[in-house]
Amino acid sequence: MATLTVDHLRKTFPAIERGSSPTTAIDDLSFTIEGHVFVSVVGPSGCGKSTLLNILSGIETSSSGAATVSEGERPARLGYVFQDPRLLPWRTVMQNMLYVIDETGSTARERATTYLELVGLGDADGKFPAQLSGGMQQRVGIARAFAVEPDLLLMDEPFSHLDAITARSLREQLQDIWAKTQKTVLFVTHDVAEAVQLSDRIIVLAPGGRLYADVEVDLPRPRKASDTQVATMQAELLGRFETMQAEVEAAKASSIAS
Amino acid sequence: MSIAIDRTRAGSSGGGGADSVRRFLRSQRFARAASYVFLLILWWLASMYEDRFPAPLETFQFLWIEVTGGSHGGIVRGEFIEHFASTLPRFGLGIAISLVLGIAVGVLIGGSKLAEALFKDTLLVLVALPAIIWAFLTQMWFGLGDDAVVITTFLSAFPFVSVNVVQGIQAIPRELRRMSGAFHVSRMRRLRHMQIPAITGYIFAGFRFAVIIGWNAVLLAEWFSSSEGVGWRSRYWYDANRYRGFVAWVVLFIGFIVALDRLVLVRLQRRAFRWRDAQLSTIEREAEEIDVGVKGA
Repeated sequence: MATLTVDHLRKTFPAIERGSSPTTAIDDLSFTIEGHVFVSVVGPSGCGKSTLLNILSGIETSSSGAATVSEGERPARLGYVFQDPRLLPWRTVMQNMLYVIDETGSTARERATTYLELVGLGDADGKFPAQLSGGMQQRVGIARAFAVEPDLLLMDEPFSHLDAITARSLREQLQDIWAKTQKTVLFVTHDVAEAVQLSDRIIVLAPGGRLYADVEVDLPRPRKASDTQVATMQAELLGRFETMQAEVEAAKASSIAS
Repeated sequence: MSIAIDRTRAGSSGGGGADSVRRFLRSQRFARAASYVFLLILWWLASMYEDRFPAPLETFQFLWIEVTGGSHGGIVRGEFIEHFASTLPRFGLGIAISLVLGIAVGVLIGGSKLAEALFKDTLLVLVALPAIIWAFLTQMWFGLGDDAVVITTFLSAFPFVSVNVVQGIQAIPRELRRMSGAFHVSRMRRLRHMQIPAITGYIFAGFRFAVIIGWNAVLLAEWFSSSEGVGWRSRYWYDANRYRGFVAWVVLFIGFIVALDRLVLVRLQRRAFRWRDAQLSTIEREAEEIDVGVKGA
């Protein structure tokens, strides 16, 4: 179980053209995640969600502060689920799984099969991605991320490109897999309802990458979108979310007025 | 599209025979055959106009003796197998080297901005250099023998593979590269499972060019630096003022490359693109989509 520490993290992008001011994507963000928890990061677009993931995965560097993932003494292993499946189209499902697994031979094969079965695609190992539906491809993407046996699993709006019905069934499956595998998950989304259904804890970011709220979700599992408690909490959080956006709009308006 | 279908229906209700003839006349196979006939007619007309240009029939007679054997005016014939047997290994070796090095150099240049800045222009110069330059140079450097021929083939064919591979590497989607980076996939695995398959189409395009350019080059090199082989045999008849023999070998030379392209390269290409053809079976995919939907609801 990994420990994710974000410590006074700041990320500023330089001005794109002369005369414009640099944009702040993440502003003095601090939080810690520990143990077998499912944490969502929620925020409107432009609040630095993707930037946070990019810094954690090493694609981008921070301007100041630090974001570290550790597993005891050694650096933690990370798994990723992207918005789109990102499978190699010219390789079969099994080959796509083996592509990211460190082991070789039968160990790797067994592990790949285990996780494919977990997402209900145990018999699709010989197919090419193009032979699968969008939802099935995304399930392969999820199986692949779990198959590297990560200490921390990063998920970047993995259901946002799917139709509502497929997304709903995948959310339920994900809870199931997560319960079985005992992983630490950092789940990024702009969908408050989705976050409530899936998470133990929700970190709400405001535009400009500031921490707005840090909410515990202490509801029994497994949760369905239709559960009363889930729906109540969704409504409540959505209300706070809209208040936040209204505050931002108001601040913007007053800064223009003054 | 719909018009064509209607016409076919109307035709089949009228008379089946006339309709099938019409369909045959419009088929690709017929068009291809017609193009060969057209070329033969052009050739025949050209030979009537210019005496020194041998007519198709006498050329094919000459070619037949050259292939099957016999003697003609004291010169022993039937050296077809022998000359192809000495040309093909040189050609094969030259192409093999240019394929391996072409891919390696292409991957290097395509994968690094620095390497691109250093070598890309050199590569373009190499593409522009005609094979005959290499044929002359290698004859000066290596004299008569296999080396000059193999190296000319390699130098002429290799840049075409490389240029295509560079384009292919640069066309790999950024999402896949980032995915590989995020999962810390090793360089070897990336090469084998992401880069090489992603550029298969480009390799084939380059390889096909390389084979055709290389075949030109091997003949040119043999013309100048060999005492056996298809190129040398063409020159032999040319020097002997036997234009029939010269043209017969040109026909063999063209026939070989056309057959190689049609029979081997096209088939290899189809095999390499199985993953893409899998995309066509969408009916199965739609069925499964419905399946997932029902489960979710």
